[in-house]
Amino acid sequence: MTTGLYNTTALVCFAFLLTALILSFTRLVIGPSVNDRIAALDLIASIVIAFILVYSIIIKQALYIDIAITISLISFVGTVAISTYLKQKST
Amino acid sequence: MEQMFVSIFIILGSLFILIAAIGMLRFNDFFSRMHASTKATSFGVLLLLMGVIIFFSSLIVTLKAMLIIIFIYLTAPLAAHAIAKSFIDDGNQDKKNDV
Repeated sequence: MTTGLYNTTALVCFAFLLTALILSFTRLVIGPSVNDRIAALDLIASIVIAFILVYSIIIKQALYIDIAITISLISFVGTVAISTYLKQKST
Repeated sequence: MEQMFVSIFIILGSLFILIAAIGMLRFNDFFSRMHASTKATSFGVLLLLMGVIIFFSSLIVTLKAMLIIIFIYLTAPLAAHAIAKSFIDDGNQDKKNDV
């Protein structure tokens, strides 16, 4: 599938990103306020973008970058929508 | 040579995202957590997209990657500002929410 250097690189990158996903999911579960959970969801969206970019390098498919564009658009709209809803509800 | 550059870029990008997640878990104040997660994540995704640009080295991939970079650097501060503003409007701008 890929040469030796890219195999090692992909393993290291996936290990880092999986650890980051587990840590931010822990914050999503134990977060004391709703705002912490929204911030953790935003971070999780960025981690998923990073997963897809590394995977597109491994399988050599440039098409996967469109998925990263879509996820970045949707995560921004969702974050702003939830925080605006919270702000309207509190006043 | 090109493989080495791509590997260095994507490992550094993943490392920055890991640092952001560690800060997200370990800091004990809401604004500190926002400070950790917003900036380091943007920079990590930027480094990953630099690696993608060097790896594919075609025009359309470069344009799409530049689009993602510009979009993330425009919207990550906006999203962080919206979250922090809703946190402040809840009436706890000087209360520490420790975990």
